[in-house]
Amino acid sequence: MNAPDVDTPLIERVKQGDVKAFEMLVVKYQRRIERLIGRMVRDVDLVPDIAQETFIRAYRAIPQFRGDSAFYTWLYRIAVNTAKKALMDLKRDPLVTESARANREEDDERSPVENELSDGETPDAVLASKQIAAAVNFAIEGLSEELRQAITLREIEGLSYEEIAELMNCPIGTVRSRIFRAREAIATRLRPLLDTREGDRW
Amino acid sequence: MSSGFEKGSAASEQLSALADGEVDAAAAGAACAAWKTDTELRRTWHAWHLIGDVLRSEDLASSAERDQRFLVALRGRLALEPVVLAPAPAAAPGRRAGGRWLLPSAVAAGFTLVVGTFVVLGPMGTPAPATTLARVTPPAVESPVVPASVREPAAPVQAVAVNGRMIRDPRLEPYLVAHKQFAGTSALGVPSTFLRAETVDTEPR
Repeated sequence: MNAPDVDTPLIERVKQGDVKAFEMLVVKYQRRIERLIGRMVRDVDLVPDIAQETFIRAYRAIPQFRGDSAFYTWLYRIAVNTAKKALMDLKRDPLVTESARANREEDDERSPVENELSDGETPDAVLASKQIAAAVNFAIEGLSEELRQAITLREIEGLSYEEIAELMNCPIGTVRSRIFRAREAIATRLRPLLDTREGDRW
Repeated sequence: MSSGFEKGSAASEQLSALADGEVDAAAAGAACAAWKTDTELRRTWHAWHLIGDVLRSEDLASSAERDQRFLVALRGRLALEPVVLAPAPAAAPGRRAGGRWLLPSAVAAGFTLVVGTFVVLGPMGTPAPATTLARVTPPAVESPVVPASVREPAAPVQAVAVNGRMIRDPRLEPYLVAHKQFAGTSALGVPSTFLRAETVDTEPR
């Protein structure tokens, strides 16, 4: 391992019994894990379940996580194994999902197209995702050059504060503050799209 | 919202640095403590990571409602899990080594017990231990490791008492030897891949 894992502070908390730290990691990685599983499993309805199972397995196994690889790499492996196992169980007992699908069709008045789509892929959800992506891009365009460069080097290039400081020729404290201000500015633009109908259950 | 987490505050800048892994454990502790009660902090943490995901790949854009539902469902399941308590980092090296030989040693000890019982009780002609042994051995005996020289009729492998002496099926020898070797090397530590796979794949109940 050449650089310390960015998740180390949170993982240490989880190992001390702090489940909140694990929730923070879930919020961080849930989308990537779901996309990964979605590429392996055709039935989109199964994706959230397999993702949940992945995180539960990771939580149980985290005392054994020694940081030999990045946390995400480790989590990725668990997701792949969990998805493979789910696919094998499905092959053994395909009736489970077949009957689930039949039930859904019976008591569902939606159009056939909508029936094919899971919660994550309904036209509404697809539209919401597109709006979010557009808002982020628009907000990035509106940032000052310094802020845009700092957040891009961090999020896209994955550089550490020290490396960014070297590249931008400024103190680390400035990098930290620029990234933070960039995040705040983008999040402010995004806010109207992220306020949930269900209220604040976060 | 009772904590000091507000827009532009030092606490929220700390949170931003935590997202990048650029803080110490103490700052992580503060954020975790606030996480429980501070809706604003949770919402911000989600928004920032969503932004990072979208910057890397637009197809990671997801509605907050969906992500929220995911977390709420998972939180319900996590509540049923036993609390994680890993050994403190200072004690880690010793304990880790312990973890490596613990399982193989336990297995070896288990076999020693079976064989030991057989050796102790065998000469008395008690049928029970012999039966136990016979039940344990077939998989190993059928393996291709068995030398051709010990070929025997296809009768079930058994230990038999003849004239008051317990005679062991010779095909058991490679099996017992193999396990002796296993017990010997395990003290030095077995490859960790076995243990890791075991933990990830079979530990969940």
